[in-house]
Amino acid sequence: MTFSNRGSEFRTELTATADYYSMTDISKNALLTSLGKQLIDGSLNDPAVMQATEATPDYKILPWVNVVKIGGQSIMDRGRQAVLPLVEEIVTNLKQHKMILGTGAGTRARHIYSLAIDLGLPTGVLTVLGTAVAWQNAQMLHYLLAQHGIPFIEPEGFGTLPHYLMERNAVICQGMPPYKLWEPNPEKGRIPPQRTDTGCFLIAEVFGARKMIYVKDEDGLYTADPKKNPACEYIPRISVEELLARDLDDLIVERAVLEFLVRARHVKEIQFINGLKRGQLTAALNGEAVGTIIYRNGDSK
Amino acid sequence: MSADQPGAQHVQSSLMRESLVDKNVIARTESQVTAILPDVSVIQIGGRSIMDCGRSALMPLLDEIVANQSQHRMIIGVGAGVRSRHIFSVGLDLGLPTGALAALSAKDAAQNAYMVSCLLAKHGFVYLEAPFVVQLLPAMLAAARGAVFNGIPPYSLWEHPPAVGKLPPHGSDAGSYLVAEVFGARRVIFVKDVGGLYTADPKTNPQAELIREITVEELIHRRLQTLPIEPSVLELMRHAKLARSIRLVNGLVPGNLTRALAGEAVGSVIRT
Repeated sequence: MTFSNRGSEFRTELTATADYYSMTDISKNALLTSLGKQLIDGSLNDPAVMQATEATPDYKILPWVNVVKIGGQSIMDRGRQAVLPLVEEIVTNLKQHKMILGTGAGTRARHIYSLAIDLGLPTGVLTVLGTAVAWQNAQMLHYLLAQHGIPFIEPEGFGTLPHYLMERNAVICQGMPPYKLWEPNPEKGRIPPQRTDTGCFLIAEVFGARKMIYVKDEDGLYTADPKKNPACEYIPRISVEELLARDLDDLIVERAVLEFLVRARHVKEIQFINGLKRGQLTAALNGEAVGTIIYRNGDSK
Repeated sequence: MSADQPGAQHVQSSLMRESLVDKNVIARTESQVTAILPDVSVIQIGGRSIMDCGRSALMPLLDEIVANQSQHRMIIGVGAGVRSRHIFSVGLDLGLPTGALAALSAKDAAQNAYMVSCLLAKHGFVYLEAPFVVQLLPAMLAAARGAVFNGIPPYSLWEHPPAVGKLPPHGSDAGSYLVAEVFGARRVIFVKDVGGLYTADPKTNPQAELIREITVEELIHRRLQTLPIEPSVLELMRHAKLARSIRLVNGLVPGNLTRALAGEAVGSVIRT
C-alpha cells in the first residue's frame, strides 16, 4: 500500500468559510445552528435559504478514490481486443490506486432506444431499458475481474463500497444513475439526458473523489467528431465554461456532466483518455496530463 | 463521439454508430409519446404543509381521497417535511454533500408515505417503494385500489448538484411530477396548506394575490420570491410531453381535492 506517503491528499477535509462559522451558534450550546433555524422556519425554495447553504463546509467522503468510466460503444462493444488489455492495466494499477469502475451502455442501448421511441415510450422507460444495458456491461467486466476479488455493486449496495475499496481496491458498478422512471425529459427528443457519463460524474462528486477519468476510444476532445471530420482540431485542455460557450454540435461527454461540473463543489476537472492505447489509464491515474482535461474555471466554491 | 468503429460490434438500429450527444441525432428522436396509465391521477401530499400538521389536517384529506375512490384511480406521493429540514441542518453542519442529503431526506418522505399507506390500507391502498413503482404499479392498481409512493425521487447519492448552495433540488414535488409525466397521468394535484400560487407568501403578506392560472414560462419569468412548489418542477415542466398542467389546492379546505379531481378550477393551475 502506497497510500501513506500521500498524507495531505487523504486528510479529511472539513473546511468552511468564516462566514459559515459566524452563523453557527455553538457558544450558546443551541441544538440547532442558525442555518438550521432558517431551514426549519423558512421555505426551502427561498433563495436566501439556498444561498445560506452555499457557505457550509464540504467534507470529502472518499478522497482517495478514483472513478473510472469504461465506455460502452467505445470500449465494451469492441470485445476482447479492447477490453482485455484494459482489464490487465486495471489489475496492474490495483496496487497503487483505488477505483470505482463504472460502465457505459453502447450499441444495444442505441437499439433499444430506437425501438422504444418507435413504440411511443417515454424517456423514463428508456432509462429503465438503458440501465439494463449498462448493467450487462458491468456484469461482463465483473466476470473478467472476479478472480481478483472485485465485486459488482448495485446502487442500493453502495453502503458496502468503502469496505470493498479498502479490501480489494476496486468495485464495479453500472454507470447509469438510478433514476429509472424518474429521469427528467431532455430538452429535445426522447433520449435520457443523464446517462452513464453523468452517473459516474455524480459518484465522483458525492464522494469527493481524487479523479474522474473517462476511458473512450479517442485521444480526447476535438472540435468535431474525428471519425466523421478528419479536419477537426484536438483540444488537450479547456475550461468547462469555454467549452459550454462554444456550444459544439457534438461532444465527447454528455452535456449534463458539463453543467454539473460548473456547479460541482468537489470535482475540479475531468479527464478523457484513449483506452485503446496502453498506458494511458496508468498515466492518468498517476496524475499525468494525458488525453483531454476539462477543468472548472473561476473556482468560486 | 462515434461513427465508424471498425473494431466495435454493432446492433443494427436507427441510432447505430451515432453519438447520442450529437444535437442532430437528438433532434431526430422527437416524436409522439404514449401515456402508459392515462386514467390515473397523481396526488401529492405536502410533508411540511399537511403531514407535519398531523390528524387535524391529514384525516379529513384521507377521508376525501376514500370518498373519491369509486370515481378516480389515484396514486399518492408524499413529501418529507420538518424532519428533513432538521437532518439537512445537521448534515450541512457536518459538511455532507448534496447526494448524501438527498439519500437521508428520502427516508423522511418514506416514513410519511408509509404512515399514509397504513391509514388507507383498509381501503386497499398499498405502499410501493421505487423498484415496485417501476415493476408493479399497473398490477397493483388493477388488484389494489390505489397506491402510495415516496414523493422524493430515487436519485439518492446521484442527486444533481444545485445551482446555488447544497440543498437537493429534487424533492417530493419533483418526484411526484415525474411519476405523473412518465405514466401520462390524467391529473397532477399538489395538496398544500395555502390556496394555491400567490404573488407573495400569503402566510406573511396579506397583500398577496392568488394567481389562478399561469404558464410555466411566465411564472419563471416573474421570479417570485417564494413558490409553494419546488422550482425544479417548473424546469421539468418546460420539457413536458404528457403532464402539461399541474394544479395546486389547499388541502385544509374540504371539497377542494374532490373539485380538482373532477377538473374544476379550484386553487391555481400552472400550464406549459
